[in-house]
Amino acid sequence: MVFWVLAALLTFGASIAVLGPFLRTDERRAAGAEHDLTVYRDQLIELEQEVRRGMISQSDAAEARAEIGRRILRLKEGGTTEDGQPQKLSGIAVKVFALVMVLAVPVVSWGLYAFLGSPELQSAPLAARLTQDPAQASMEELIVRAERHLAANPDDVRGWETLGPIYLRLGRYQDAVAAYRRAIEFGGSTPEREAALGEALVGEKGGLVTAEAEAAFLRALAVDNASPRARFFIAVARAQEGRNEEAGAIWEEMAAGLPENSPWRGAAEQALVNLANLRREGSALSEGTKGGIPEEELAAVENMTQEERQEMIEAMVASLDTRLRENPADLKGWQRLLRSYVVLGRTNEAEKVLARAVAALGDQSQEARELVQFATGLGISEEER
Amino acid sequence: MSVELGHFALVLALALALVQSFAPLVGARLGHSALMRMGEPAAITVFGLTAAAFAALTFAYVQSDFSVLNVWENSHSAKPLLFKITGTWGNHEGSMLLWVLILALFGALVAAFGRNLPPTLRANVLAVQGLIATAFLLFILLTSNPFTRLVPPPIEGRDLNPILQDIGLAIHPPLLYLGYVGFSISFSFAVAALIDGRVDAAWARWVRPWTLAAWAFLTGGIAMGSYWAYYELGWGGFWFWDPVENASFLPWLSGTALLHSAIVMEKRSALKIWTVLLAILTFSLSLLGTFLVRSGVLTSVHAFATDPSRGVFILAILVFFIGGALALFALRAAALTPGGLFHPISREGALVLNNLLLTTAAATVLVGTLYPLLVEALTGEKISVGAPFFNLTFIPLFLPLLAAVPFGPLLAWKRGDLLAATQRLQVAFALSAICSLAGYLLIDRASALSAIGMALGLWLVLGAVTDLALKAGIGKVAPRMALRRLVGLPLSMFGTALAHAGLGLTVLGIVCVTTLEVERILVMRPGETVEIADYHLRFDNMGPFTGPNYTEDRAAFTLFSGGVVRGEIISSKRLYTARGMPTTEAGIRTIGLSQLYVSIGDNVSDDGLVVRVWWKPMVTLIWLGAVVMMVGGAVSLMDRRLRVGVPAPRRAATATAGKSAR
Repeated sequence: MVFWVLAALLTFGASIAVLGPFLRTDERRAAGAEHDLTVYRDQLIELEQEVRRGMISQSDAAEARAEIGRRILRLKEGGTTEDGQPQKLSGIAVKVFALVMVLAVPVVSWGLYAFLGSPELQSAPLAARLTQDPAQASMEELIVRAERHLAANPDDVRGWETLGPIYLRLGRYQDAVAAYRRAIEFGGSTPEREAALGEALVGEKGGLVTAEAEAAFLRALAVDNASPRARFFIAVARAQEGRNEEAGAIWEEMAAGLPENSPWRGAAEQALVNLANLRREGSALSEGTKGGIPEEELAAVENMTQEERQEMIEAMVASLDTRLRENPADLKGWQRLLRSYVVLGRTNEAEKVLARAVAALGDQSQEARELVQFATGLGISEEER
Repeated sequence: MSVELGHFALVLALALALVQSFAPLVGARLGHSALMRMGEPAAITVFGLTAAAFAALTFAYVQSDFSVLNVWENSHSAKPLLFKITGTWGNHEGSMLLWVLILALFGALVAAFGRNLPPTLRANVLAVQGLIATAFLLFILLTSNPFTRLVPPPIEGRDLNPILQDIGLAIHPPLLYLGYVGFSISFSFAVAALIDGRVDAAWARWVRPWTLAAWAFLTGGIAMGSYWAYYELGWGGFWFWDPVENASFLPWLSGTALLHSAIVMEKRSALKIWTVLLAILTFSLSLLGTFLVRSGVLTSVHAFATDPSRGVFILAILVFFIGGALALFALRAAALTPGGLFHPISREGALVLNNLLLTTAAATVLVGTLYPLLVEALTGEKISVGAPFFNLTFIPLFLPLLAAVPFGPLLAWKRGDLLAATQRLQVAFALSAICSLAGYLLIDRASALSAIGMALGLWLVLGAVTDLALKAGIGKVAPRMALRRLVGLPLSMFGTALAHAGLGLTVLGIVCVTTLEVERILVMRPGETVEIADYHLRFDNMGPFTGPNYTEDRAAFTLFSGGVVRGEIISSKRLYTARGMPTTEAGIRTIGLSQLYVSIGDNVSDDGLVVRVWWKPMVTLIWLGAVVMMVGGAVSLMDRRLRVGVPAPRRAATATAGKSAR
C-alpha cells in the first residue's frame, strides 16, 4: 500500500513538473538573430575588460574588435532575409497536445510498470533474512546462518559437527571436509570425526578412497575398531585395489554382525550384491577397462578432479567407439561400449550404438541376438527401424 | 519495496523522457514558448528519477538483496563494501543504467544552465537528448532490466567476476561513460542546429566546453582502463589494440578532432559545417563502441552476457540515430552559412591539418576493428587484425601529426608565418635532438627508433614550453616582467600547453617501455636471485593468505640494488572461492618513473616457481601524460572567457586573398 502511495506521489510530482511552464506566463521571446547579437555584445564587453587588464595588446584588440564588427554586419545582412516570427498555431491544438504530453506521464509509466514490475514482492536484504524467525527460514538460510556464526566462532565444535552431516547429505564435500577438519582441530580426534572426515574426503574425490581418506579411517579404527563407517570404507578401498576377497569378507562380517536397524548393515549388503554382480560380469570388464589402463594412468586418476576424471572416461569411451567402427566384429567390445554409455547416462547414444552393432554384426546373426539380449538387460531396446 | 520503487522510477523516467523528446520539438516548430520550455523540467526530472533508480539498485547491492536477479548474478555477501557498490555497474544491466544516468545528468545540466541559449536551440537540444534517453531507457527496460526479481531469493550470490573486484571498477567505467556520453551533448547541439537550419553564435560557445569536458573524461577513462589492464591481467601490456579498446579510442580520436575544430569555430566562426559533421560522427562512434561492447559481438572482459536480442536492439538504436543525423545533415548542411576565410598557413590551417590526420587515423582504426567482424559475418572465417596492422597504418599517420603539434599554437589566426614559427621552435628542436642523441650514445645504442621516438616526445613537451615562454615574452623583456606576463596568461593557453605536453609525456612513456623494456622468465626456488636492470630480486618464500572472499598463494620477493634492500614485492595467485576462479595479482614496485613488475606462474617440481619479471622504464609516463592532458582540459575549462581569435593583420607580403573553407 505504501508503495502505491509513493508511486502515485512520484507520478503526480512528475506530471506537475512538466506542466510547470504552462502555469507560469512568461512570454519573453527573442529571435535567433537577437541572441547572436547578445553574444557578440558580450564578446565586445569581454574584449574591453581584457584591454583594461592589459592581457591583450591595443593592436590585437583593434583587430578583434573589427572581427566582431564584421560578424555583426554579416548577421545584419542575413537577418533581413530571415522571417523573424515563426508561424502561430491555434491555442486549442497546442493545449490538446500539451494535455496529451502530461497525460502520457501517468499512462505510460503505470501501463509499462504493470507489465514489467512485481509490486507485490518485498525487498529481501540478506541481513534481515538471517535474523528472522528460524522456524520460517529455509534449509539454505539456516546453513548460511550457521556458517556466519562459525566464521565468527570457529572453535564451536558442536556447530561444525552439526553442519558436517548436512554438507555430506547435500554433496558439498569440500565444505564437509573443512567442517570436520575444524571439529578435529578444536575438539580433538575422535573415531566418529575421523571416519566422517574420511567419508567427506571420499566424496570429494568422487567415490575414490585416497591414501589421505584411508589414513583417516585407520585412525578411527585404531581407537574404535568397530566403527562401521570406517570399516565399510576400508572395504571399499580394498575393492578398489582389486582385493575383492578381503573387501567381501569385511562386508559379510558387517552384514552379519551389525544390528538390524544400522544403516551400515544395508550398505554392506548392497555392496556385497554389487560385488557379486561384478564377479559375474567380471570377465568382460576386467579384460577391457581394467586391463586397458596402465598403472601410471590409474595413479593419475587418483589425483584428478571429478571433471578431469569424467573427461578421461569420455575419452576412453570415444576411443573404444572408434576402434569398433574400424573393427566391428567384436561382441565383447560392443557390450562394453553399451555398458559405458548406460553408466554415463547417455542412453540415446547407447541405443544408436546398439543399432550400429546389430547392423555390423549381421541382422539375423547369433551374435546380434546375443547383444540385443544383453542390451535389454541394461534397459536398452533396439531403436524402431 | 525500495527495489520496486527504483523500478517504477525508471519506468516513470521513460515516460518523462518521451515528454522531453516531443514537447520541445513540437514547441520549437510552432514557436510556442511554454511547450518548448516543457523540456527543461522534464530533463531535470528524468535525471532525478534515473538517479533514484540507480540508488535503489546500489542499495540492493549493498544490502545483498538476492531477490534481485542482477544482484544475485553479480554479488556475494562476503564481498568488501566498495566492491558491492562498484558491482552495481560491473555487469551489463547496471552499466547500461549508469550510461543512461550520465546521459540524463548531461541533459539536466543543459536544462539548468542553458538559460542564455536561444530558446529554439535549447528546446531542440533537449529534445534530441530526450530521444537518446528514451531509446536507451527502452533498451534497458525491455531487454536488460536490472530490476528483474527472483522468487524465492537464493541465500548467496554468484559473486562478481574477480577481475572486476578492483578499485579500477570504481574509476574506469564512470570516467569512460562521462566521456562517451558527454559527446551526446555535442551531437544534440549538432542535430539541433540542423533541425533549425542555422548555427547560432552561441552554438560554438557551448559546444567547445562540453566537448572539452567529455574529452578530458574520456582521456582519463581510457588511461585508467589501460593501467588497470596493465596491472590486473598479469602480462604487463598497456595497450593491445583489442577491439574493445579501439571502441573507446575511436571517439577519442574524432573527439580530439572535434575539440580543435570547435576552437576554430568559436574563435573564428569558420569550419561550421565540418564541426557539425564531426560532432555527429564522434557520438556515432561512441554509440558504435557501446554496440560493439554490449551486443556480445566481441568477446572480452567487457562482454558480460551475450543475448542476440540486445545486439539487435542496440543496432536499431545505432541505425536510427546515426542514420537519422546523417540524413538530416545531407538535407540541411547546405543551408548552413559557411564561416570566415583563412589562409592555408594559419592557425586555422594547422587545425584543419590536425583534423585531417586525426580523422584519417580514426578511419584506419575503424577499419582494423570492423574488418575481422565483417569477414567473420560474410565468410565465417575468424581472422584477427592485431598490433602489426595498426603499427603499420596508424603510427605513420600519427607521427606527422605529433611532429606538427608544436607549430599549431605558434601560428597566428587567419594568416600565419611558418618560417617565423620554425625559427622560434629552433631551441626546442635542438634540445630534444641533443637529449635523444645523448641518450642514444650513452644509455642504449641498440635502437635508433627509440632515439627518434624519444626526440618526438621531448619535442612535444619542449614545444609546449616554448609556446608559453614566447607568449610570456621570456628573453625579450625583463625576467620579472616576463614572469608577471606568464602568470597573467589566459588559462586556456596553459590548458593547450599542458594537453600538448601531456601527449608528449605519453609518447615518451610508450617509446621507452616498448624499446627499452627488459623481460626475464625463469624458474626460481626460495633463496634464488635474479638480476634485472641494475636490480637484484630475491625469491624469499611462498605462503598462503586468506582475504575476505578469496584465498591466495603469496610469493614474497626482496628487491636489492647495490647490495642494499630496496623493499619487498608481493606477487600472488588468487582463488575467488565463490566462482572458483583464479586470478594473478602482479607485484609492482615503482622506482622513480619506472616500474619493476613481477608476475608468478605455475609451480614446477616441489618448490620451483615460474616467475616473470619485467623492468619497465618510464612506463608510468604513459598514464601520467594522460593525467596531464586531463588537467590541461580542466584548466582550459576554468577559463570562462568568451573567445575571439585575433586575426593577424594583412601585410603586403600576404596580400593575396584568403581561401574559403567550411
